[in-house]
Amino acid sequence: MAAETSSRAGHALGSLGQKASDGLSLVGGFGVLLSSIVVRAVKRDFDRGEFLRNLYRMGIKSMPIVTVTALFTGGIMVIQAAPIVQRYGAYGLLGWGAGFGTLREIAPLLTALMINGRVGANNTAELGTMAVTEQIDALRALAIDPIGFLVAPRFLAIVITLFLSTIFSDALALLGAAYAGAGFLGVEPAVFYRGLTTGLLGFGDVAHGLEKSIVFGVVIGLSSCHFGLSTKGGAPGVGRSVNATVVASAAGIFVLDYLLSFALS
Amino acid sequence: MIRLDGVCKNFDRAALIDVHLHVPQSCLFGLIGPGASGKSLLLRMITGLMRPDRGTITVGGKDVLTMGDMQLHEYRKGIGMLFQNNALFDFMTVAENIAFPLRRLFDLSEEEIAARVAERLGRVDLAGFEGRLPAGLSGGQKKRVGVARATVSQAPIVLYDEPAAGLDPVTSQKIFDLLRAEQREKKATVVMVSSDLDRLLTVTDRVGMMLGGRLIFEGTTEEAKTASDPRVYQFVHGKVDGPL
Repeated sequence: MAAETSSRAGHALGSLGQKASDGLSLVGGFGVLLSSIVVRAVKRDFDRGEFLRNLYRMGIKSMPIVTVTALFTGGIMVIQAAPIVQRYGAYGLLGWGAGFGTLREIAPLLTALMINGRVGANNTAELGTMAVTEQIDALRALAIDPIGFLVAPRFLAIVITLFLSTIFSDALALLGAAYAGAGFLGVEPAVFYRGLTTGLLGFGDVAHGLEKSIVFGVVIGLSSCHFGLSTKGGAPGVGRSVNATVVASAAGIFVLDYLLSFALS
Repeated sequence: MIRLDGVCKNFDRAALIDVHLHVPQSCLFGLIGPGASGKSLLLRMITGLMRPDRGTITVGGKDVLTMGDMQLHEYRKGIGMLFQNNALFDFMTVAENIAFPLRRLFDLSEEEIAARVAERLGRVDLAGFEGRLPAGLSGGQKKRVGVARATVSQAPIVLYDEPAAGLDPVTSQKIFDLLRAEQREKKATVVMVSSDLDRLLTVTDRVGMMLGGRLIFEGTTEEAKTASDPRVYQFVHGKVDGPL
């Protein structure tokens, strides 16, 4: 009995140790990849054509989904605030209330999650397919650095895409909130605008959200490139990598959002 | 020219066991053997894409395993490689795939690149396919584009992994003849892995046979055809009965 218990404990410890080792290996892999990208970015040793191509594919083509998300996010913020605003008659504070939550939290977070689903997953699928069909090896065999040619341009494009999308999303979410306020609560857009600009909200609130968006972009870029490059096992392997990217990025975004909200407040 | 000494590699099982291989300069060397015997792995080791657990690999007198990133980069400029599943870049057109090594590694004008690409496509019977994407090509056409890309930079060392897989017999023989003619013209050192032994053995100078991760035979093409080792004889002649 004692031997069996001891064996189970040993097995559990071994399993825990393996998971810890896998986790450390993942973090180490992220660190190595990030340093490789930073070196190339600083030296400008990356493919400009690929960078622009990816900026277009990831940024411009994400605009429709970012637009829809942002407009409805602003509206949702107003609907959730409506009972309190009506109860206390604080119609003049609607702009501040919706703006505070949107700029600092909701717009960067939801934009990051949308970009993670659309761009991060797609990036992993592309890199993963290239890995399992030996295209990454072919680049190496042709004496072409895959980090400089493929990875650094994609990583930079994701970070810039998310930063610019968040600015776009901030503006649209506030527009959505203003018109939802007019529709649901009868708050004129001018009153909503005054609530935004009478001093309760400042540039710091916008910067707070934008700083987060850069960190979220780094998380999505690193995660999608790392899991894509390390794909093994054909089409099922690509599926597993895409799944791992979406889950790891989303979890990383929430954890870092929590920590950043403390750090930046 | 290419020398492997005591090369070993283990994954979950032994993939290469004490391989000693010598490919002389300007030789067209055929590497044969059943599936999963380590042939493709050897090609990847010669390009430095994979490192052995033990042993040495020297090419042109230079130790591939001690090369740093920059040296490896320069070394690979002198190698053309066709991968088993072609490894065409699927976001590039046929012409862009073939032009890619020229654009990235050599200081050539666009006119020169276009001329080289057109010449390569003509040699593999794919003139007019410049603007197609790999997804729109048949397996055989992809293979021929892969051959064109591997040979476009006229590298002194060329490695072909199954250059005729998926091709009909006529096109297959044309490809082997083309690769042989180019090897003679450029005096390149070529290592070719192929399952199409009937055609492969019409063009090779020397042959090596891998079996279970070991190099069990190395000699001239004629010696391979008349090998005393029953495993080599059976494989080369495609006999059903025998030790394999």
